[in-house]
Amino acid sequence: MTTAQESDHHESRYRIGVDIGGTFTDGTLVDSTTGRVTTSKVLSTPSNPASGFISAVKKLLSSASVDPSHIEHVVHATTVATNAIIEGKTARTAFVTTQGFRDMLEIARQIRPSLYDLQFEKPAPLVPRQLCFEVEERVNAKGEVVTPLDDHSLNQVVNQLASSDIEAVAICLLHSYRNPDHERRIGEAISEKLPNVIVSISSDVVPEFREYLRASTTVINSSVAPIVSAYLSSISQKLVSENVTSELLVMQSSGGVYPAQSASENPVFMVESGPAAGAVAAAALGSNLGQPNVISFDMGGTTAKASLIREGQPNITKDYSVGGAAQSGTGAFGGASGYPIRTPVVDLVEIGAGGGSIAWVDSGGALRVGPHSAGADPGPVCYGLGGTKPTITDANLVLGRLDPNYFAGGEMKLDIDSARESIRVNCANQLKISVEEAAHGIIEIANTAMVNALRLVSVQRGHDPRDFMLIGFGGAGPAHTVRLAEQAGIPKVLIPLGPGTASALGLLVTDVRMEGSATLIVRADQADLTQISREFQRLENLGRKAHKQAASASGAPVFERAIEMRYWGQSFELSIPAPNRSEIDQTWMQELTESFHNAHQTAYGFRANDEPIEIVNLRLTTVGKIARPQMLKLSITDTGVSIALKGTRPVYFSEESGKQGMIESKVYDRSLLPAGAVFSGPAIVEEPDCTTVVHPNWQATIDEFGNIIIQPKN
Amino acid sequence: MIEPKIEPIRFEVIRNALSQAAEEMAIALRRSAYSTNVKTRQDFSCAFFDKELRSVAQAFTQPVHLGSFVRHVPIAVKRYGPENLSQGDMILSNDPYGGGVHLNDISLIGPVYYRNQLVGYTACLAHHVDVGGGAPASVGAFKEVFQEGIIIPPIKLVNKGKVDNDLFRLVLSQIRSKRETSGDFRAQIASNITGAIRIKEIIDRYGLEEFHLYVNEIIEYTDRRTRAEVERLPKGVYKAEGFVDNDGFSDDVVKLKIKVTIDEEGVTFDTSGSDSQRRAPVNSTFAQTFSACAYALRSLMDKDLPVNDGFYRYVKVNAPEGTVTNCVHPAPVVGGWETHVRLNDLIFEAMATALPNEVCAGTKSMQCHSGFGGENPETGEYYCFLETLAGGYGARSSSDGPDAVQSHGQNTENAPIEETESNYPVQIMRYELITDSEGPGEFRGGLGLRRDYAFPNETTFTVLADRDKAGPRGLFEGQTGSKSVYALIQNGQEHHLSSKTTVQLQPGDVISYRTSGGGGYGSPMKRDPDAVLSDVLQGKISIDRARKRYGVVIDIGRQSVDEIQTERLRNGG
Repeated sequence: MTTAQESDHHESRYRIGVDIGGTFTDGTLVDSTTGRVTTSKVLSTPSNPASGFISAVKKLLSSASVDPSHIEHVVHATTVATNAIIEGKTARTAFVTTQGFRDMLEIARQIRPSLYDLQFEKPAPLVPRQLCFEVEERVNAKGEVVTPLDDHSLNQVVNQLASSDIEAVAICLLHSYRNPDHERRIGEAISEKLPNVIVSISSDVVPEFREYLRASTTVINSSVAPIVSAYLSSISQKLVSENVTSELLVMQSSGGVYPAQSASENPVFMVESGPAAGAVAAAALGSNLGQPNVISFDMGGTTAKASLIREGQPNITKDYSVGGAAQSGTGAFGGASGYPIRTPVVDLVEIGAGGGSIAWVDSGGALRVGPHSAGADPGPVCYGLGGTKPTITDANLVLGRLDPNYFAGGEMKLDIDSARESIRVNCANQLKISVEEAAHGIIEIANTAMVNALRLVSVQRGHDPRDFMLIGFGGAGPAHTVRLAEQAGIPKVLIPLGPGTASALGLLVTDVRMEGSATLIVRADQADLTQISREFQRLENLGRKAHKQAASASGAPVFERAIEMRYWGQSFELSIPAPNRSEIDQTWMQELTESFHNAHQTAYGFRANDEPIEIVNLRLTTVGKIARPQMLKLSITDTGVSIALKGTRPVYFSEESGKQGMIESKVYDRSLLPAGAVFSGPAIVEEPDCTTVVHPNWQATIDEFGNIIIQPKN
Repeated sequence: MIEPKIEPIRFEVIRNALSQAAEEMAIALRRSAYSTNVKTRQDFSCAFFDKELRSVAQAFTQPVHLGSFVRHVPIAVKRYGPENLSQGDMILSNDPYGGGVHLNDISLIGPVYYRNQLVGYTACLAHHVDVGGGAPASVGAFKEVFQEGIIIPPIKLVNKGKVDNDLFRLVLSQIRSKRETSGDFRAQIASNITGAIRIKEIIDRYGLEEFHLYVNEIIEYTDRRTRAEVERLPKGVYKAEGFVDNDGFSDDVVKLKIKVTIDEEGVTFDTSGSDSQRRAPVNSTFAQTFSACAYALRSLMDKDLPVNDGFYRYVKVNAPEGTVTNCVHPAPVVGGWETHVRLNDLIFEAMATALPNEVCAGTKSMQCHSGFGGENPETGEYYCFLETLAGGYGARSSSDGPDAVQSHGQNTENAPIEETESNYPVQIMRYELITDSEGPGEFRGGLGLRRDYAFPNETTFTVLADRDKAGPRGLFEGQTGSKSVYALIQNGQEHHLSSKTTVQLQPGDVISYRTSGGGGYGSPMKRDPDAVLSDVLQGKISIDRARKRYGVVIDIGRQSVDEIQTERLRNGG
């Protein structure tokens, strides 16, 4: 598989993936020819995430002894955008719209997020009402100008913006998906007067009809853009100063990657960047073992995420809300609790339970866990960095599940006495129970919430969890995964090598993908075929241009064309792959409409041959293939597990089988566990970035890729 | 005999798979439908009933359908005779006097067979944008149900998998918006087919015996949880009375009375003392009143209680026949939802002293229909459009009422302006919150909203709403929200309209809706001055109102509260 590229850059065979979570920054370096993986884990630096990023890269380069100039490309997943939204720390953003519609964001869809809750809240708009402005102009549904853009009113708004101390502006005018002229002119006027303000235009971000969804997507894009672009340019500079000059790519919410430049301009495509990486990694791990149906469970310091992978592919959705409540089923109103975006996102459930989630006793005397997190700074009490509130990590430490002397491979000593004291003062005393019981309660409460997340993606979508394998990773995941499988009825658990950094691996097993679309809204029988051909050509040119930024990292651009269609009068489209013909002619159109009728029959059980069909959008995805790295295989040995046994220690378990309290458990060093090794719980497996807890009644096996496979005994 | 064993994980899986089947019915209906009211505003519901016609799983987008749909389906099937149904059949029904509600809500019901054995029914209800009658969108003030549109007793629309085209043409010929309505009917058929496929898959997997066992357990599970919830409610007798503001013909208010009795027997809702039914569109059928009570009870229970037959059996309603809460033939019913939703406000008002932290102050509590239609010059077709508008929500004991949101049984989305203008000859001129419309309180009510429609052509427009005499009430010294205004703006002149009227519009006319604000909770003089400041800075309330109604003086130059002046004003200065 020698390509021209490789022969030119003989040594450019290393790829780096860096995934920044709320608490830790994980790095993975893969030698794409041998499959050898090096990992690193450093504390995230929330006040300046770029500094954690570069420490992770430096650590990778030095521990793998790789020359920075031999790096093929760097792929990055970051929660910088979504954190800003959830924590209410988005850039100060203004909203500009058509006169009469200032309250588009306030009114949203006029619905309640839950049907029977009289105490419900509507999410506060990301732009406060005093920063929403109206411009006198109007375009009708055909794209014709009804009221010309009024210069006086535009100037007034620009002046108001100038005195409002804003960092970004989102512009969404009615019917701009049909005619973007007024939006562009307003954008230019603002940029001219306020060159440092980032401007997002709805007809660029998501040229689709339905004003509120387009406005919400655009507002999110602009309100995180200053944060994302400053961040990406800072890490680019830092990479250069470390002599890494190769392409920087960013993970999108959909599981494909795109160039950093595209990410700076359209960050709304990457708001769920980190979670997508985890799902892609789990899909790759499962496929590699011939297990295309897996549930991915990724628990870091701040949140836990679950997603379901069928036939090797994560589910993708375009009905997504950032910061929304966990959706039950495909509930029509799940989205009303957050901020909707109309960009493709890996379908997952995320809950506020991570290693850093804080335990507390509420006014009613109930023990609660989360949603507040101690994050990396000050972090759990046991880190000794100033944290005073007990966290899940503190509870795991008190229960003996973590070793105070072997955290981060021994680089960091954990203070067990402070952790105990904090649980005593903040939880156990109020509840009048022992510290161990309180610690165990903290874990079980967090587990219940996580089991619920697993059920939401499986049972709630009609899938039986018993048909799936649970892949647990993230720094905090493997300490909980076996217990979750037990409670959710999942018969098989996989803990990959380097679980703490596994989601960074997902960054290295996907392709460059860039979405482009053009809105037509025309009846198929009246469509101008040359226009369709022209639009696809235009999108290909744009895609080719965008791909250039990722050219060194991926293969030549390949284009996937699809047409979004519906029966004339419907509102939801089906995406139909374009017929595989070189010419867009009458035959092409006949094949296309026939495919649509068939797809409609499959989706909804009927076809309406006599009904007119409408073409809504043309979609073009530019794909730059990235060759997958080889997975390193170990040879099965019969050396047994004793060489990996580090010793024993008491660990607290409370199982349905009746055992409760501290049970003496074997502790293994993962790096010494050979392929083929078999051992039983209760056991603890330690590696530098993670600890796996194997509960009583479960048995573990090491497979040929070094994964721990854990199944119930008998 | 061996006790059949319920395995907890299997129980959860089957329970959720059934809910998922209902959800998928909803998705199929929504995504293949044509009218904005169904595809975007989601005015529909889907459910699976077992072979005894007990509701098992439901995908409800609209709580109003909660009680009504589950009453209508069994009655319709029994009237038609389950013995007259076979595989591939579906029956259509909207008869208000056969367990139904207003004529727009049409149910389509199909038996599900598994290897020639009846296992249950999939059913879906859609609010059709037009069913004929005296005005486009079939909303308006009439004196008899016959004027309101086509009445469909249970009839077989789909016979062994084939649509009965004669019947279909007969139904469609009564209806203005033929293309959209036939699209919506097709979507309903698709929904039932989808549900039946999913149900069969579940039985394939677990077997028929297990299926029936778990279906029964799903209902019993809800029964057990509902009983526990009912026992938790405070025992006592709670009363309230109120009004629908007019009936569309006479300006006299329509009196409503509610008595809620909670005792060892359970919960009983009694509407005795409510006005006699009117020859006007404010009559609620029993199903609608039942639905109001079911919603109120459900709202006072655990949020994740799954609703099915095991819940409904605890909703006891005594609504005397011949009153506006249980009308008899041939009373008109199209505005029955106004009575229904006002009952909800009254039930919560009645319960306020016993459950002060669980209820809310008066909300919009009207359907607030805006319906119009006429010939679309672009297509030459007769079109109809219907939507309902939000208003302010009532304040709660520790939070403000949200602005511009649907209330109680109603949770329909707004019609996106771009979608509306793309499909119908209308231009929306503004859509905004109304400053100073909130009911003042320590926690304030939500703001009402304004929506203006401009019509380039002759159009027939119907307002079917309420709240034009009095706004939603406050609780515990909280004050009343603003009342609604419905106006016709013609040649720059504004004329107020009745809340239940049909008008003929000329090209260029504008109709303006300004909906009510929510009631406040607690004395506005106790409101946190910083919360008042925030409202003023956002332009939600005026400086003048802050001073007069809240006793808070704002220094707008400094964007701060003038604490000395406020103190003086609030403490009798």
